[in-house]
Parts: sequence; structure tokens; C-alpha cells
Amino acid sequence: MNRLSDRKIVGKTLWLLAAWLLAALVSLNIGSVSISASEMLRIFENHGETQLAAILFSVRLPRVLMGSLVGAALASAGAAFQSLLRNPLADPYVLGVSTGASLGTILYSIFVTTSRAPDSGGSFLYGRPLAAFLGAACTIAAVYVIGGNPRAGETSQRLLLAGIVFASFLSSINVFLLTSTNQADLRGIFYWLIGDLSRPVDASIYVVAVAVFAGFALLYACSHGLNLIATGEEDALILGVSVPRVKAGVYAVASLVTGAVVSVSGPVAYIGLICPHIARMMFGSDNRILFPTVFVFGAIFTLLADTLARTVLSPVELPVGVITALCGAPLFIYLLHRRRSGA
Amino acid sequence: MRQLHPEPAGDTLLEARNLSFSYSRPVVQEFSLGLPPGKVTGLIGPNGSGKTTVLRLLDGILRPTGGDVLLHGSVPLARLSRKEIARRIAMVPQNGGSYYYQSVFEFTMQGRSPHLSLLGFESERDIDIVRDTLEMTCLSALSHARVSEISGGERQRLLLARALAQQAEILLLDELTANLDINYQVELMRLVRRITRERKLASLVVSHEINLLASFCDWIVLMAEGKIFRQGPVAEAVTEESLRGIFGLDFFVRRSATGPLEILPVLEP
Repeated sequence: MNRLSDRKIVGKTLWLLAAWLLAALVSLNIGSVSISASEMLRIFENHGETQLAAILFSVRLPRVLMGSLVGAALASAGAAFQSLLRNPLADPYVLGVSTGASLGTILYSIFVTTSRAPDSGGSFLYGRPLAAFLGAACTIAAVYVIGGNPRAGETSQRLLLAGIVFASFLSSINVFLLTSTNQADLRGIFYWLIGDLSRPVDASIYVVAVAVFAGFALLYACSHGLNLIATGEEDALILGVSVPRVKAGVYAVASLVTGAVVSVSGPVAYIGLICPHIARMMFGSDNRILFPTVFVFGAIFTLLADTLARTVLSPVELPVGVITALCGAPLFIYLLHRRRSGA
Repeated sequence: MRQLHPEPAGDTLLEARNLSFSYSRPVVQEFSLGLPPGKVTGLIGPNGSGKTTVLRLLDGILRPTGGDVLLHGSVPLARLSRKEIARRIAMVPQNGGSYYYQSVFEFTMQGRSPHLSLLGFESERDIDIVRDTLEMTCLSALSHARVSEISGGERQRLLLARALAQQAEILLLDELTANLDINYQVELMRLVRRITRERKLASLVVSHEINLLASFCDWIVLMAEGKIFRQGPVAEAVTEESLRGIFGLDFFVRRSATGPLEILPVLEP
């Protein structure tokens, strides 16, 4: 019998990590200036202050790491929402969580610019991801209130519809706020609203990294409970899962990791939808293997999408959200169709 | 209303003391019952009399609005975590288990959940327990089959198997034999009684089949409108008068030559 073991999980995850490393090297290599592997090795050895080293260490490497974090976080959040709602179409973008996080980020930025807080540099690192998390958490709560039916319990279809409606509502508020406050860098901001990794990475990457890894650990701790909840909530209770606590925890943690990365990258669409599906096809739907594999797979996918985004029209860069939506929207339609035909 | 009292509290694995529960109206009122080890208790009553609510209260899924559920006569259920409860109480819900992609083996393994570590990896011992349980419920041959592929009778046995894999000392069964042909009903109840005796479990069976309960139970509880109408050993509790009291119909009740009661409703068109 093909049973899931910890060895199998570690094995598959290590394979994916190797693939991620390869993707990262490719991404470091490609760009307006190509840096070959031998040059990279030389730079790593000498820590030289050359122009190539500057490109590698202060531009490409941070972007590779940030892209990986964004993908890992959104893919994990997507897997968690799909499992919790027992619906393959759920993901942080569709549920409006990503857009809520961007509203939080925008409100925080407006607050910082108008109040001209003297220490905005330091508080910005924590404040922006925190504001995004609050935006995400408020959104999921609102979607739950709008879409949940207290008599019949929440149905995932209603929640998704509420999420889609709420997301379009919030995104018009976002555009309204940005336009009315006379932001200087409109082009950059609209790129960010589509999901963009081209902005210089600042020290907030550390805050984001801690949030993403801690969130992943918490989600992983819930993976067996989520497996049982997929059987039915009453069954899960009978089998010893504290269902209300697991549900609340997973909603909160998935919002946290989404908020943390959206504060930097903007609401990149469909990563949370595509990656869990592909990972499920490859490794099965048991959350104990799905969560670690989708974490790494999301990193690989986003890294490759971002590499495409900055090279395909070089020297002009596309926002990464354009590439993920180009892949994701057709897949969404395919899944919707397959679901309707009862497969 | 005459009420026979259960055996002394010291003997019971699970005890309900004056349980009450209400949504907007009272659903269960002043419900007291003890479940002793090695005995099968039957709970019977018309639709809406509160049977399923009683089971959910006894498993701690619902919190009573009054009264207590006690383990071993002294430990309040409300003080235990879900995991601790699931190690002691196994329940087969009325419409349980709908994870069709799983195999029969994987589904039964779910019953080991309360005994596993945080991430839920099973040990060789858990695998052995699941194998034994499948053997006992005659499902070994179907071990690799998908849950969606098996018949209704096998599915009910599977739900029982998952509950038995929990290795709890208390077994709560809600309509385990519903929608089954009479031969499967008898087969399941025989199995429940045998395991209850062998493992000294305290079992509570909710069913609509009066004859089935009268034949296989040691103790019968008759319930109507959220209250216990009567409880006692089968021959004392199940009478023409008590059945009329809860169902509002006339019944013939007589002892058959071989021992069990024969119960027939009087059906006058």
C-alpha cells in the first residue's frame, strides 16, 4: 500500500528545493546584463565590488528571494483556503483577501505620508506588513459575514461569490484613494496593484520572511486536522479535532502570510489557485505532503513567472501579476468547467 | 410517570445527570442515564424526540444548557479537550463520512487520529489495529477499495470500523442500521453486541427498529418530547402501555418461545 510517510514528504520536498535552486540560478543569470555561472562563482568567492557584484547582490538576489517568499506564501494560503472551504476555486485573490491587504497597505502609506512621522523609516518595516495583515483579516471576516449563512452554516460557493464581489469593491476603493491623493509614482503604483516585484527590496524582507515561515509552520501543524475537516466537520469533531479553533487559526494565519507578502508585491493573482492544483496532481491531496510541496512549488512558479516578466519584453518589464493571470485565468475556467460537468 | 432507575453510578463509564438542552425551545429535558461496561443500551423514540441531540450531548459536541456529562461517574466531559474525549468516546454519526476518494483502509485509519502525534503519522501499531478492526468487521477484502465503490451495508460496517479503531471505551451509534436490509441489520447488531461484551465497552444504540433493539439490548430507554418516558431491562421497559405512550399507537407485545420480545404495531387503516 502506498502510504504517506515522513520520509516520502522530506524526499519530495528536497527534490523541489533542488529544482528551486536551479530556477534561482537561472533567474540570477538572466536579465538585461547576463551573468554567467562562472562569473557568479567568481563574485561569490571574491566578494568583489564590481558592477556585476552590485547587480547580483543588491538587485537580482533580493528579488529572487522576495519572489520566492511571495510565491511560497500565496500558494500555501491558497492550499489552506481550498482545504478549509472544501472548494478547489478558493484562493486569497478570489476571496478578496489579497485586495484587502493592498487596501491596508495603501491606507498605511497615506497615513505615513500625511502624518510625516519622524521615525517612519523604522516603523515602516513592521507597520506596512501589519497594516496589510489587518486589511486581509478584516476582509476575510467581512466575506465570512456577508457570505456565511448563520442558519445553514457557511457554504463555500456563497463565500467565494462574496469574496469576488468584495474584491472588486475594494479594488475600486484602492484606485480611488490612489488617484485622489496625488501619488507621484502612478505607474509604479498601478504595477503594484497588478502584482509587481520590480521595486527595490528593502529591509522589510526580513519581517516578511519571519511571517511567512512562522505562518507555514502553523499551517503545517493544522494539516492533519484539515484532512479530517475535509471529511466533514462533525466527523472531525468526533475524531478529536477542535474544529472551531483550527478553522479560526487557519483563517488568521492564511491572512497573515497573504498580508505580509502583498504589502511588498501587491496582490499577485492566481498563484494561490494554480500552485495547489499542480502540487495536488503531483503529490496527492493529503495536506501533510501538500503544504510543504506547495510551499516550495509556489516559490519556483513565482520565480519563473517573474523572470519571464522582466525578460520577455526586455528592456521593458511587465508586472509579474500579468504573467500569473495569463496562466491562471484559463486554469480557473477549466476547473470551473470540470466542476460543472461533475468530474 | 413511573421511572425505573439505572444501575448505581459507580458502575458507569458514561453518565448523563439531569441533562437539558434547548435552542429556542427545549429539545432535551432532565435526561439522566448511566452506561455500564459490557452492556448495550438502546434508545428509542419517535422522530424529533431528541435522540440525536442526546448523543451529541454525550459526545460533548453540544454543550448542555443544564446538567452534566460525567466520565467514570466523576470527570466532567466539559473539562476535556476534543482529543481527550475522542480517545474515550467513539461515535458513528447519522450521516457520517463522505470522503469518497479515500480507500477503506485510509478511512478506517482516521479512527486512530486521537492517538496520533501532532502531524498525524501512524505507527506500525496503528496499522495493526486498523487491520484487526477491518478483520473484525469483515472488510479486509475491501481494504484497497474506494469508499465510493462499496455498498450501503459495507459503508455502515466501515463507519463502525472507524469508530472501533478509536479504541474508545464508550461507543455511541446513531442509526447505524438505517437503510439496511434486515439481514445486515441483524449482522451489525450481533457484531456490536459481541464487541461490547468482549471489550467491556459501554454502548448506546439509537434506532427506529424496536424489534432489533429489544432483541440485542440489555437496557432500553424510551424517549418522547425530549424526556425519558421509561427506562429499564427490555422486558420491563418495553410494554404495550409504554409504546403507546411514546408513539400514540397500539402495539402487541408478547414473549416468543425462544426468548426475545415480539413487537407488532396495530395497523388499522
